[in-house]
Amino acid sequence: MRSPRFALAIPAWAWLVLFFVVPVGYVIWFSFGYKPGIFGTHANDVLSFDRYVEALSPTFFQTFLNTLWVGLAGTALCLLIAFPVVYWMAVKVSPSKRGLLIALVMIPFWTNFLVRTIGWQVILAPEGWLSTGLNTIGVLDGPLEILYTRTAVLIGVVYNYLPLMILPLFVAFDRVGAPLREASKDLGAGPIATLARVTIPLARPGIIAGVLLVFIPLMGDYITATVLGGAKGNMVGQLVASQFQTAQNWALGSAMAVLLMLVIALSVAIGAVILWILSLPFRSAHRLVLGPES
Amino acid sequence: MTTQVTLAAGKSSTPTEPSGTVVLDGVTRRFGETKAVDNLSLRVEAGEFLSLLGPSGCGKTTTLRMLAGFEHPDGGDIRISGTSVLGVPPYKRDVNTVFQAYALFPHMSVAENVAYGLRQKRVPRAEVRVRVAEALELVQMRSFADRKSTQLSGGQQQRIALARALVNKPSVLLLDEPLGALDRQLREEMQLELKLLQSQLGITFVFVTHDQGEALSMSDRIAVMREGRIEQLADADTIYARPDSAYVAAFIGQQNFVVGTLTSSGDAVDTTIGALKAARIDSGLISGDAAQAAIRPEFVRITPAAEPKPTGTQGADGTLIGLAHLGESMQYLVQLDAGQSILSRRPTADAPSVSVGDAVRVSWKPEHVQVFPADGAEVAAGFVRPPKTTHSHN
Ligand SMILES: Nc1ncnc2c1ncn2[C@@H]1O[C@H](COP(=O)(O)OP(=O)(O)OP(=O)(O)O)[C@@H](O)[C@H]1O
Ligand SMILES: [Mg+2]
Repeated sequence: MRSPRFALAIPAWAWLVLFFVVPVGYVIWFSFGYKPGIFGTHANDVLSFDRYVEALSPTFFQTFLNTLWVGLAGTALCLLIAFPVVYWMAVKVSPSKRGLLIALVMIPFWTNFLVRTIGWQVILAPEGWLSTGLNTIGVLDGPLEILYTRTAVLIGVVYNYLPLMILPLFVAFDRVGAPLREASKDLGAGPIATLARVTIPLARPGIIAGVLLVFIPLMGDYITATVLGGAKGNMVGQLVASQFQTAQNWALGSAMAVLLMLVIALSVAIGAVILWILSLPFRSAHRLVLGPES
Repeated sequence: MTTQVTLAAGKSSTPTEPSGTVVLDGVTRRFGETKAVDNLSLRVEAGEFLSLLGPSGCGKTTTLRMLAGFEHPDGGDIRISGTSVLGVPPYKRDVNTVFQAYALFPHMSVAENVAYGLRQKRVPRAEVRVRVAEALELVQMRSFADRKSTQLSGGQQQRIALARALVNKPSVLLLDEPLGALDRQLREEMQLELKLLQSQLGITFVFVTHDQGEALSMSDRIAVMREGRIEQLADADTIYARPDSAYVAAFIGQQNFVVGTLTSSGDAVDTTIGALKAARIDSGLISGDAAQAAIRPEFVRITPAAEPKPTGTQGADGTLIGLAHLGESMQYLVQLDAGQSILSRRPTADAPSVSVGDAVRVSWKPEHVQVFPADGAEVAAGFVRPPKTTHSHN
């Protein structure tokens, strides 16, 4: 019984090993090496943690913090925006119109990531239509100065990653279904109580999926930061890319990449623990164990 | 809209509509072109067990959902315990629903499911424990309290859904085909239990079903619905013995329909198998009108053709073409010489000794013949359709 099942899993394992474990293994291996002279990219005859020390220099550390800030704020904003939108789509809109709305959410995805981001560069430019428009209606006096700042990067990532939040969230909300919400209301729970005690708990896997799907690629994104961030909106992804491509220092680039992966994994773990602790009082308030008959 | 009105709903009952009374007053609900519920008026007395019975699509669920607050009428008024609930959301109504698919919360244990309604009302923890345990005992599920609600059989889920609704002590309990998903034996068991619970608790039950047997065995009164309206509202005996229309007659139990015209004397229907006398004809028919006579299979006697005709009966000769054992009764299908087929059902203990192929005589008493206008039976399910014959009797 065991061997055929194992055999069926071989392609999946092979895929994982060839395209994930091996490349990541190389990156980790390189990160302990060094750049041998101007023309070499990496050497591993002497192993050390020196590249990590180098990567954690104050300038790089500042970029790490910046990346973490954009990652957390971007993910939070995506969640905050997606949540009411998805609630409306999955709960309020009639089922026949949902397909169209999902298609509308997906349309930006049909265009290239880079093109979409450059679009925002045009919009946010000090002489762009947004700036002119805001000046005309009197909201703003003088040119809009957010291009090449962290705010611009944030706007860009929210725009780029929002569909990745909306889709899993929608699937999760949709699967909760009207009957359970109706049962909740029938039992005296208003819309908010129903959301808190039925819809969100049941949609939790989808919410987690959405958060991870946005947070993880967002932390490693370098296109958005390059196009909209300039010098003030630097992200680690850009540094890694420049070490590999411009500086040709694969060892340092690898150390930065490893640190980035560690930061991502650590953030996710810390986030999970914080959420778990925060949910404890809520859980115990709603738990009811009657125990065996007395 | 004030919340005051709704919170007081349980107390503000009037002398004419005491707490637990449900009144629908000319209620209409349209979905596009279809009128799911069409100018329906109905009064359910406090503490009554009322069934809404009818074929699929006749508007039973829509009616129930309007009582629960999930659908809103396009016209008319709905009052619960004497107070109009128009515009009152479901969570502020003093009613609870047992849903057809149970709709138990999969992320909660059995006890937590049952506690849900009490927690919304901020009932103190200690009281919640006591009441949840009581409700579970009521449905004999106390020992399942700490199970996941997903680890239950259909019948067990049904009981939990019932406990979850009853624990709130609503003035009205709405049940939408709650036994539909259960197998026959369990269903009959639950019918008894449900009826017992209802008389014990004195809560008004509005019970939706398309199963006439279920409606007959449990209800104080039955509202037979047809295309969004109520065709007849009466107790089980009346619905069974004196249906107002061929539709009701055909929907409750089985019927042999024989089409013809009302005779000039006005007390019989002229058909291919002779003039069928009826004890009572009160459907506004006049001589010469197209009419149909209806005889229930359980009132049709069957005797070997050689035996003398039972006294005080009328009947017809034919051949036995089918025989089925139904347990408590035997069912016979007889092909009459005139072409019509007739169904007969006799208690097994009292079954005549005839076999398939025998020449037999079917007979019945005039008091068991009911006469209705010729149209209307086709829509209802569960009856023996008269053969489409145009031969005239001579
Ligand atoms: N949400 C809706 N949208 C459109 N039409 C509906 C909706 N709900 C019900 N209807 C229509 O209203 C009519 C009555 O439906 P309803 O569900 O009340 O029937 P029912 O008597 O409960 O039938 P069943 O025994 O099959 O459950 C049907 O013709 C149905 O198609
Ligand atoms: Mg229904």
